[in-house]
Amino acid sequence: MDDVAVSRFGPAALLVEFADKVDRESLARCRGLMGSFEENRLDGLVDVTPAYCSLLLEFDRPEHASNQVDRVAQLLKSARARPVEEAPLFEIPVCYDGPDLEEFARRNSLSVPNVIELHTAPVYSVFLIGFSPGFPYLGPLDVRLNAPRLENPRPRVPAGSVAIGGEHTGIYSIASPGGWWLLGRTDAEIFSTKKALDDGSAEAFLLRQGDSVKFLPVEEFSP
Amino acid sequence: MESETPVLEVLASGAGISIQDSGRSGWKRFGIAPGGAMDLESARRANLLVGNDAGAPVLELLFTGAKFLVLTSSELAIAGAEVECDWPTWRNFRVEAGGEISFGPLRAGVWSYLAIRGGFAAPRWFGSASANPRAGFGETVQPGTRLACENRLPPEEISSRFVPELVREEYGQTPVLPVWRGPEWDGFNDEARGKFLEQTWRISAQSDRAGYRLEGIALESRLRMPSAPVAVGAIQVPPSGHPIVLLRDGPTVGGYPRLAILESSSISRFTQCAPGTDVRFALTE
Repeated sequence: MDDVAVSRFGPAALLVEFADKVDRESLARCRGLMGSFEENRLDGLVDVTPAYCSLLLEFDRPEHASNQVDRVAQLLKSARARPVEEAPLFEIPVCYDGPDLEEFARRNSLSVPNVIELHTAPVYSVFLIGFSPGFPYLGPLDVRLNAPRLENPRPRVPAGSVAIGGEHTGIYSIASPGGWWLLGRTDAEIFSTKKALDDGSAEAFLLRQGDSVKFLPVEEFSP
Repeated sequence: MESETPVLEVLASGAGISIQDSGRSGWKRFGIAPGGAMDLESARRANLLVGNDAGAPVLELLFTGAKFLVLTSSELAIAGAEVECDWPTWRNFRVEAGGEISFGPLRAGVWSYLAIRGGFAAPRWFGSASANPRAGFGETVQPGTRLACENRLPPEEISSRFVPELVREEYGQTPVLPVWRGPEWDGFNDEARGKFLEQTWRISAQSDRAGYRLEGIALESRLRMPSAPVAVGAIQVPPSGHPIVLLRDGPTVGGYPRLAILESSSISRFTQCAPGTDVRFALTE
């Protein structure tokens, strides 16, 4: 992979910058790099945090960061982008009865059925997991559905809320404060605290970075 | 927790009590914050004073006001904030069944740690007992909660351990803490960078385990960027111009420019800066 830069991020971490705009190509590059760091263990690596255009490698000790800059640079060179077309598709049922649905349609000059149609049409990619446990940032979102965050965030948004904030759509994985427009809800379990018990497992999370998601509109959830 | 012999009962929780250890790693890619004791260094010392592993579960006490009843004779240690207590701090001590431990006026600092020989029994989430209520990790510790020991250990052979005053942090003075240039350092103008390093910042009351906000003369921050990785100690500048220092329960990614990064070895000291007190930063070379 070319055009990738590695720099220090404080004493014990390295920042890898691999893109300067957000699209499926940047996502494919991120997936490729994540795969490369999984296959080639770096000494003392304790955490890897992927984001849109960069990822962070955190080490247990400063020496492990400073000594491995060249090794990381080599891994970056040999890494290959991993296209998202190979990722699994998740169909997620959504009941569009959110408290902000009508207001959202009005402010975007759309009818409620239009909003639902535009929101359910694409196959989204999980660009990022962050904010709270397992919370997927999905995109690209139809520009007609862009909307700035709410001026007054809610102190508590229920888990399973399907929402839009800025240029992203996502699913609240746990009950938390939130400033996105709530369009609907799903009964899919995005994050399972039970599967986080003891050592925990990746099965605690329904979705991974790069996965594909399609929303299916439903009147109510099948039991 | 109920099935084991309880050793300690909470009589009053003061400003708040939670179980913490050294935190979890390897799960940030799924949005899981590292967690762990805010002042890891004091938690580590409290554990070592009672002969535990440095990362054993301890009670993290916010400010003061906590009160405990000892149900089974135990060896304990308290480290962290400068708080008055009816038992000695920074050394191990033994309390017989029926004894009480109460925390009085707080002189300086924020977090105190109560360690028990054998560690507090607690479930693990992603390998750590650290409570993070928002993520659903940890059980509530409140008046009436009875805590058990994780490992029953024989009484200490070394009867007395202590941390000399010489090596303890002073929480009453304004610290000057070392910072590294953050990824967006060059994106701020000279004036903003100068203001960041030259002024004395005040810790906002809107601070918690996720991060401390800093009050002072706002920094001009016009950078817009897609969400990027952050870490404990990263100093973000939101559009308000008032920096936020991200801490143990903070987000894994953020969309605000990262002006600076607090030196890792100074994070514990920083967490003991109480709301309303001051802090300064100096660039490391």
